Amino acid sequence: MDPFESIKATFFQECEELLTDMESGLLAMEQGDDDSETINAVFRAVHSVKGGAGAFGLEELIRFAHVFETVLDEMRSGKLHLTDEVAKVLLRASDVLADHVAAARSGGSVDEGRTVGMIADLQGLIDQDRAAELGLNDDGDSAAVEEDFGFVPVVLSLDEPATDAPEVDVAALMAAAAEPVEVDEAAAPADAAPAWRVTFRPKAEMYAKANEAALVLRELARLGDVEVALDASAVPPLDQLSAEQAYLTWTIRLSGDKSEAEVREVFEFVEDDCDLEVTREGEAAAEVAEPPLAADDDASASAVEAAAAAPLDLDALLARVSAPAAEPATPAAPAPAPIAAAPPPAAPPPAQDPASMDVAGLIALAEKASQDHAQTQSAPAKAEPKADQKAEARAAAGPATAATPTIRVDLDRVDRLINAVGELVIQQAMLSQRVFESGLARSSDVALGLEDLELLTREIQDSVMAIRAQPVKSVFQRMPRLVREVADMVGKKVRLVMDGENTEVDKTVIERLSDPITHMLRNAIDHGLETPDEREAGGKGIEGTVRLAALHRGGRIVIEVADDGRGINRPRVRGIAVSKGLIAEDAVLSDDEIDNLIFLPGFSTADVVSDISGRGVGMDVVKRSIQALGGRISITSEPGKGSKFSMSLPLTLAVLDGMVVSAADQTLVAPLSNIVESLTPRAEDVHLIGGRDAVICIRDTFVPLIDVGVALGFRDTPLPPASGVAVLVESEGGGKAALLVEAIQGQRQVVIKSLEANYQHIHGVAAATILGDGRVALILDVDALVTTSRRKAPRIEKRMAV
Amino acid sequence: MPAPGAIKTLIADDQQSMRSLIRTSLNALGINQTREAADGEDALRALLAQPANLVITDFNMPKLDGLGLLRAIRAHGPISKTAVIMLTGRADRELVQRAVQFGVNNYLVKPFTTATLKEKIEAVFGPLE
Repeated sequence: MDPFESIKATFFQECEELLTDMESGLLAMEQGDDDSETINAVFRAVHSVKGGAGAFGLEELIRFAHVFETVLDEMRSGKLHLTDEVAKVLLRASDVLADHVAAARSGGSVDEGRTVGMIADLQGLIDQDRAAELGLNDDGDSAAVEEDFGFVPVVLSLDEPATDAPEVDVAALMAAAAEPVEVDEAAAPADAAPAWRVTFRPKAEMYAKANEAALVLRELARLGDVEVALDASAVPPLDQLSAEQAYLTWTIRLSGDKSEAEVREVFEFVEDDCDLEVTREGEAAAEVAEPPLAADDDASASAVEAAAAAPLDLDALLARVSAPAAEPATPAAPAPAPIAAAPPPAAPPPAQDPASMDVAGLIALAEKASQDHAQTQSAPAKAEPKADQKAEARAAAGPATAATPTIRVDLDRVDRLINAVGELVIQQAMLSQRVFESGLARSSDVALGLEDLELLTREIQDSVMAIRAQPVKSVFQRMPRLVREVADMVGKKVRLVMDGENTEVDKTVIERLSDPITHMLRNAIDHGLETPDEREAGGKGIEGTVRLAALHRGGRIVIEVADDGRGINRPRVRGIAVSKGLIAEDAVLSDDEIDNLIFLPGFSTADVVSDISGRGVGMDVVKRSIQALGGRISITSEPGKGSKFSMSLPLTLAVLDGMVVSAADQTLVAPLSNIVESLTPRAEDVHLIGGRDAVICIRDTFVPLIDVGVALGFRDTPLPPASGVAVLVESEGGGKAALLVEAIQGQRQVVIKSLEANYQHIHGVAAATILGDGRVALILDVDALVTTSRRKAPRIEKRMAV
Repeated sequence: MPAPGAIKTLIADDQQSMRSLIRTSLNALGINQTREAADGEDALRALLAQPANLVITDFNMPKLDGLGLLRAIRAHGPISKTAVIMLTGRADRELVQRAVQFGVNNYLVKPFTTATLKEKIEAVFGPLE
């Protein structure tokens, strides 16, 4: 490929990510997040798209991105404020931008009217004079014309840079660099070794928010040499001590060349929940003398509380009791802060290598410089969420400031690897079996080597599967736009809430999640939610909420789509089902069963097949496509309150931990994730209901006993329960049953081979696999078996043989 | 007259495509000793590990932006003499002024041509051989 073309391809790949970042930023903004970081991230994304578009001469894209970028820049500099309206316009603009990118990629074009309209809307956000000033009304080209600011390039000789400078004291350099470079910043006095005296008195709230004094002090120790003194004089006698109160005060002497702001920054996350004084040493001796007195407030207040109920915290008490009088004690109360008594010149944790510290330090100072360029005024108002984020970021990042490095790999390669590993697993199992059959002793070198091989194989497989695991985000992120469009089309107001976007699942599963989710969302908006008028009449907010969530449950991924709409109209659903001959007129159905009628083939409740959800694809098709993935879908609904679709899918379509069992001379595999326990049934525990359906009593609970051999049609006469093994299984829906098999052979990881791809779907069978001895075994669909037994459906007559 | 081949260059940009473009242009000028970094922080690490003669950096980058990188470079003795050319998305007077304040050597407005890039580099190091 032409290098230029391949770079262009890279650019479009980046665009996908940029657009994603942009949209998630905008969605956060729609929720009211006007944090400068968020706005900046969105700006950067649009800016980068424009920059790349410029490099590749994508005129249409540049023109639109330019206007969009300009509006965002206004926002970034605080000249345009975030409102609901603004957020909505920006979101629509992001859709148009995405279309432009797609058009540029495919060489197509975007509806001119839409672009022009969108540009007008964006311009409408800024007042006219300003728009003209920004050159918004021209096309972006004019801005790209290089102006001469009287810039004089700074000439440098090539020989100048020192390529191998002698090892310098980096810390000293950093300290020097910490002084602001700009002239306009107030130059902090850099006299000889100034010291700060910090009095830090946490309140109970600080501990309640899971902040630890020790961490703060450790952080402080990074700024310079510290001497920490603990004042525990406020700690009340044992019988009055309340474990949830805060009694401790630390006084820290910090020497080093730091500004007050830097010192205070350490306390950024806790400053509301502590008393903090930062003074220059010598300047304010009077203030420093005070703290122990002030602490009395806390103590007396807590004494009253403590008198009422004095919970005992043994550790805290012991600490207090055993503390030598002269030395600062280990903290009592809920602050497990061993560092409090840290040796004065507290060294940074040794795990951290000095080089990365340097980078972090340099960055810290440099970031300040550049950030106040970008944002002048947006920050202060919203200290809290920002602090939270930062706290999180800091907690997550810890000492390591670098992001995890990643590489891009062609999916084909990964798939080839996965296939090969699948074969490896089978081969390894076969080899084990051969060795076992050959009669070699368990302790023989060959057998031991094989065991190691098995462990290794398992590890390789896990690692390979982890490569393919991806957060469902990639699917979820497409949904907000879909929801906006569908909502517009049907004239409803919808808010989409998403949860669990980082839930990971195998790539193959992800790819196939998109359609069902799309369909369920459409369905929820079109059928589930009421129109704004109806909602108002029903005493609900005009705006309906649709919640899309992903979570892991029992080794599967569960996707839920819930709406707060009208719920399922059960009489109507029932009526339709009867009229279409899907159920008998006199059928007795539970609410749950009625709700789930909508999954029956040929069922469609929409009176008029709407453009949105009724595209000839009913819920039955959705259900089938989910079943094809080894998944299930169900619905729960409450009239007037809303409905919830849950679909659950296996995390991977490639391997499965299974229990190998035999029934009617067949070897079968039951997914381990379904199995609760296994037992040998006693004849007296098994009862027949109606002379045919067996139930078994397990610890005073009756569960259906399913004879697997009969259920799958391998034989007609049931196995005498006492001569087999009952495997207690639990289905996704929580239903339990005991599967009666002849024997359990063992636990094994098996590679799933689709039966449908090679044969056809068989009720009660999820897939097939190849066992170690080369035989094919069927993997049981436990949920189908359990559901069948619960609904007492007619026995499966189909016979099959493998 | 500096030999292009002798100019060790570090390219800092968060977009792989932009880095590739810049590298392609540099190679066309005979500047073959190039390294790349995906953000300012990366770039700084790379420089600390191994100095360069020239840093071509984007302004807009996550973690540490171009100005921050510039400032960090100037603040750090061993690498403070590195030439820095700042890429900007548009001719932003304020930004350029600020970069000047921090000691930028030159700036380059995107999109650029190889010829412009050459001009900008030559303005710093003198005519390339």
